[in-house]
Amino acid sequence: MLEVSDLFHRFGERVAIDGLTFQVGTGEIVGLVGRNGAGKTTTMRAVMGILRPERGDITRSGHAIGPTDRLRFGYMPEERGLYPQMRILDQLAYFGQLHGLDPITAKAEARSWLLRLGLDGRELDKVVALSHGNQQRVQLAVALVHHPELLVLDEPFAGLDPAAVDALSDILRAEAQRGTAILFSSHQLELVERLCDRIIIIEEGRVLASGTLGELRAHFPQQLRVKVDASTEWAAQLYGHGSFARTQTAWCFSWSPARTPRRS
Amino acid sequence: MNRIPTTRLVVKREVAERLRSRLIWVMTALTTVFVVAIIVIPAVVRQPAKPTVVGLVGSSAQALGPALRTTAKAAKVDIRVVNVANSAMARSEVKNGSLDIALSVGSDSAVAEVKQTLSPAMAALLEATVDKGHQRRVLGEAGVPLSTVLAASAPVPFSTTALEPPPSDRAARDIAALAAGFLLYLSLGLYAAAVANSVAQEKTSRTAEVLLAAVRPSQLLNGKVLGIGVCGLGQLGIAVTAGLIANAAVQRAEIPSTIWLLLPAILLWFVLGFALYSFANAAAGAMVARQEEVQFVTLPIGMPLIVGFLLTYGAIASPDAWWIRVLSFLPPLAPILMPARLAFGHAAAWEMPVAVLIMVASVYGMARLAARIYAGAIVRGGARLSWSTALRLRGE
Repeated sequence: MLEVSDLFHRFGERVAIDGLTFQVGTGEIVGLVGRNGAGKTTTMRAVMGILRPERGDITRSGHAIGPTDRLRFGYMPEERGLYPQMRILDQLAYFGQLHGLDPITAKAEARSWLLRLGLDGRELDKVVALSHGNQQRVQLAVALVHHPELLVLDEPFAGLDPAAVDALSDILRAEAQRGTAILFSSHQLELVERLCDRIIIIEEGRVLASGTLGELRAHFPQQLRVKVDASTEWAAQLYGHGSFARTQTAWCFSWSPARTPRRS
Repeated sequence: MNRIPTTRLVVKREVAERLRSRLIWVMTALTTVFVVAIIVIPAVVRQPAKPTVVGLVGSSAQALGPALRTTAKAAKVDIRVVNVANSAMARSEVKNGSLDIALSVGSDSAVAEVKQTLSPAMAALLEATVDKGHQRRVLGEAGVPLSTVLAASAPVPFSTTALEPPPSDRAARDIAALAAGFLLYLSLGLYAAAVANSVAQEKTSRTAEVLLAAVRPSQLLNGKVLGIGVCGLGQLGIAVTAGLIANAAVQRAEIPSTIWLLLPAILLWFVLGFALYSFANAAAGAMVARQEEVQFVTLPIGMPLIVGFLLTYGAIASPDAWWIRVLSFLPPLAPILMPARLAFGHAAAWEMPVAVLIMVASVYGMARLAARIYAGAIVRGGARLSWSTALRLRGE
């Protein structure tokens, strides 16, 4: 469904994504995991066409993705974006129409999603009058209102209470069963493990590991990883223990717990 | 699937949301009241000019009555002459306002008493009449026959021929030019600012990021400019129509002959001026990091509007000045100065189409530049962008 190949982008001198390659299949839920600044948001913005990468291909079933393809995508950005003074129902119907629905279908779908997300009866409220959690639900409805083929959700669970997390998880599962490909990012690893068919771990713009949870566990035995500032004196003493990597600013050591070195 | 083209959807949303706001209705009401007021108030408060009442005190002065009336009529000065018995009574009447001037004539002098000041024209009229009376008396005493004296003092027919006469409705044209200038200044300022604010709101609320996943930046920008422009044009149209109705209702004689050309010109120049200023403001609005910065970034863009309106006063003083003609072709000033010159009736037939062509070319250039800045800046996070940085960004 979605193929991302050798994606590269810099912000000034800083490399944000560096040769990223992955796929998301039809009906598959893929979790994008990585620390802040790893390149998750930049990748998602590139997929949605908001950011034009310097290099790389983003294709859908083999052909380059254009504006018409993106009408079949649903997007929930990390920093939520809704018209604060617009009525919820009008807002959902508007986004539905922007994605190609006719006015009547858009309104019907908007009502249906508000009902499903527990926001029925608030159709005429302005977004600004909703709580943070409810605004997040509306944001999700904006991404879903046109029944997209691909859902790109940047931190969709951030700030939600456990009940809302469960409700959202159920919706994502149902959408995946319907055939929607879902790519989402999250810091909540337990959630990613529970929900995803496949996990992509990225760091410094590169894919560190990817596969199903079972594959990841099988191929990558439990490891400890220490990253310390390059100027830290005692870090040099770790050299020779486990695998070693050095970036411009840090030393990175990885090793299995069985071989954990003692600090001397 | 009955899909509505994207730009039209953006236009529809802008119009619908704006019409839902109370502010637009308040502004429409205020603009309409302003236009109606400048037409109705002068008609209501205008009073017919009153003649100057001249009191002739004593027999010597009263003997000048017929000559004073004749001279005033020849000079086209509206006066009413009354006889007053004595100085005390005349002074009292001047003080209470029933007389404007009390004229007393002695054997070798004359005195005009007024409450505060005497206009130079009126003073010259009285002096000429008193001098004429004096000449008649001296010539009569010297034995010159009365018929000769009367013939000598009869006014010589005097007429003035203006080589370039001002239009008879000059004052009305001045008012029309000022009103058109103010209306355009107000509407362009308000609606171009609305574009900047709306763009900045979409950027700072991150709505643009969600929109641009489905809409191209140029569609979003053009839809916004069109939608807000339609609202502005509607508001101006209501105000202008109300002005015409008010004008018909009070039946003012002072309706300038240029009005039928001026009214469509106001609407045309609003469209052109709005396009120029709103595209510039859209680019500026896309550069901000916070909503509060909008006023700061749009201030330099709005300055020509203020200059244009102030120059309308210069145009009233000297509508034929070469510098007014030149400035009225400059795209940032043309939307205000060209309709004003049209109101005066001083724009040659070729000037308006040429100014429109220059303006259309400028709007096209500005739209392209704005689209480029907008596309690069609208989803860019971080601090407010400078113009030079914004110009270097890559667009859609």
